[in-house]
Amino acid sequence: MKLRDFVLRRIILAIPVVFGVLTITWFLSYIVGDPITMYITERTPDAAIPGIRAAHGLDESPVVQYFIYLSNLFQGNWGVSTSTGADAPVLELLAMKFPATIELAIVAMIFAIVLGIPLGIISATKKDKVQDHITRIFALSGVSMPIFWFGLMLKYLFFFQFSQWGLPYLPGGDRYNIRRFSYEPTTGFLLVDSLVFEHNVYMFTDALVHLIMPGFCLGYITLAIITRMMRSSMLEVIKEDYITLARSKGLTERVVIYKHALRNALIPTVTVIGLAFGGLITGAVLTETIFNWPGLGRWAVRAILNADMAAINGFTLLVAFIFVIANFIVDMIYGVLDPRIRYG
Amino acid sequence: MTTTPDDLVLNVKELYLNFYTYEGTVRALDGVNMFLRRGDTMGVVGETGCGKSVTAKSILRLVEAPGKIESGEILLYDKDQETGQIQEIDIAKLQQEEMLGIRGNKISIVFQDPATYPNPVFRVGDQISEVIELHQDLSLDVLNMKIAKLELSLSASTTSENRAEIEEKINYYKQQLDNPPKPDKKSKREAAKLKAIEMLKLVRMPAPEQVANQYPHELSGGMRQRALIAASLACNPSILICDEATTALDVTVQAQVLMLLNQLKKEIGSSIIVITHDMGVVAETCNWVNVMYAGVTVESCATLELFEKPIHPYTAGLLTAVPKLHEDRDRLPQIRGTVPNLITPPSGCRFHPRCDYATKICKEKKPLLEEQKPGHWVACHNPLNS
Repeated sequence: MKLRDFVLRRIILAIPVVFGVLTITWFLSYIVGDPITMYITERTPDAAIPGIRAAHGLDESPVVQYFIYLSNLFQGNWGVSTSTGADAPVLELLAMKFPATIELAIVAMIFAIVLGIPLGIISATKKDKVQDHITRIFALSGVSMPIFWFGLMLKYLFFFQFSQWGLPYLPGGDRYNIRRFSYEPTTGFLLVDSLVFEHNVYMFTDALVHLIMPGFCLGYITLAIITRMMRSSMLEVIKEDYITLARSKGLTERVVIYKHALRNALIPTVTVIGLAFGGLITGAVLTETIFNWPGLGRWAVRAILNADMAAINGFTLLVAFIFVIANFIVDMIYGVLDPRIRYG
Repeated sequence: MTTTPDDLVLNVKELYLNFYTYEGTVRALDGVNMFLRRGDTMGVVGETGCGKSVTAKSILRLVEAPGKIESGEILLYDKDQETGQIQEIDIAKLQQEEMLGIRGNKISIVFQDPATYPNPVFRVGDQISEVIELHQDLSLDVLNMKIAKLELSLSASTTSENRAEIEEKINYYKQQLDNPPKPDKKSKREAAKLKAIEMLKLVRMPAPEQVANQYPHELSGGMRQRALIAASLACNPSILICDEATTALDVTVQAQVLMLLNQLKKEIGSSIIVITHDMGVVAETCNWVNVMYAGVTVESCATLELFEKPIHPYTAGLLTAVPKLHEDRDRLPQIRGTVPNLITPPSGCRFHPRCDYATKICKEKKPLLEEQKPGHWVACHNPLNS
């Protein structure tokens, strides 16, 4: 099978997944409450309710309502979110909030990969030595610390204490320094906008500095998981026969580990990375709250608390898309890493 | 064992090696002695767990913790290519960094299982050219490759202007032939790849250019083993160790590989150590045999002599256990008992609990490997046929 067929097949296979997700979330949201509550207040006269119900198509049977929802979805009408003050189309809100979250998630992922993989390799090659123990403690704290506490501690140290000590300190929140810059989103990705559209390097570095703390805070758990995963798969691979063969060729230990072992050991780690990326998007709620980040997570939580069904459905659908895309990319990377999986 | 070192390539003397495990110290090698003459094919036979593979791995210093060489010498007689002088290197005393130049270059190894030894994620050709790139000076090959390429384009081009330009280039490269410049990494890699294809041709691989670009899982077991042999012969090693190299192959492929090894030995001029538990393989390929039992060399002599007149009771037992075509028996004879636990090995001769000829001295004193007959070394207090 050619690569093109493989990609095509993956895309076709993704359709039922996304479809299943949106069906399940819609029916779940249908059972949990009457969506009419979103459109009325305590001052709405009882006589007006049936009219409102009919206007939103809520007097139909659930199956008909589901198909109305589907047809609206494909026409780009994802419903109206009512929980964020002024009523606004869900799609518009998603487009507005999404870049901030994805930017944060990507930075978190970069932290996790760039630190996690080398740390995992070191702790595998220096198994049961000091380096391994230090890495283990570092990784275990990552998965054990609650993210809200860790975020607050980071902020306390690098923002508050550093400024007290007169050291250069990291900003305590926001995407950029609102007193220095005014920002009109073009793509919504601050790093892209500042550099490509506004040609403002100062704003770019400012945005970057603002990303360090929340990025690390969000990525720490993933970093810990990647480190441990990398360590265990590396330990497994080092025992393989082909590593003995590589050593018998007279290759240096460095080449043996970083060429022959790493590529094989990366395969399970890549799976974890793919799954974690979806988790970063949905798990950003706490980080976004602590660092006052105008992203999706906070918005989704507010929607859930207010039973804002259109917003919840929209958010879930987006997350499902991201999971599907992340797994698709993981599958492609598999093929690059391991020829046995290629064009699977 | 004394032989003139002139015709020797390897001499292992009194090698002791322990594994330090949680259950206790495994005395895996307890005085291994063997020598390999230039151009010989030497067999090492013995039961599973008698230390054949560990010996092979210690010759390459590939035994990993918790294994440790305690004492003994592994002498490699390396012929200097320029002066022709033979220098003696004790592998047992080298640092790991110093071993890098020996592994895959002067001594190489072919392992047992062609399914698990090639790296699944790299192309067959790359796995061979990797060794070539590592150990060989390819400056001349790179230059020849460039000239060949230009000559090809010369025959293809038509305009005279082009031709003159290319001819000028060819002449420029030809002038450098006596003193080739150091090639850049890319062209070195390319030349190594061409050489890898040459190696695949040497091991009689069908469609070598195509196979070089394939991955191990796309090849059959026999082809994979050929590719591994090609990689280990790529640098013309003076010693090739075949650690059960044919055990995992089916009988017909096994025969092909054995024949191939015998032919290649003549072409490349390597000496071969064949590690096996198959007496048939020994009879077919080796002219000298070492018999090992529980980490000790018990007998060492020419193959024919071993099969005709074994002196050590263990060897005699092994040979009677080989089924013979002209005999009609219900049950094959066997050596009674099992392989001893090497954490608490038997005192004296390690074979004495299973030996029919054992006497008091066997329990108390370890027999030394002695030349009982000319060219026939045995470690036994009560040798047979003498």
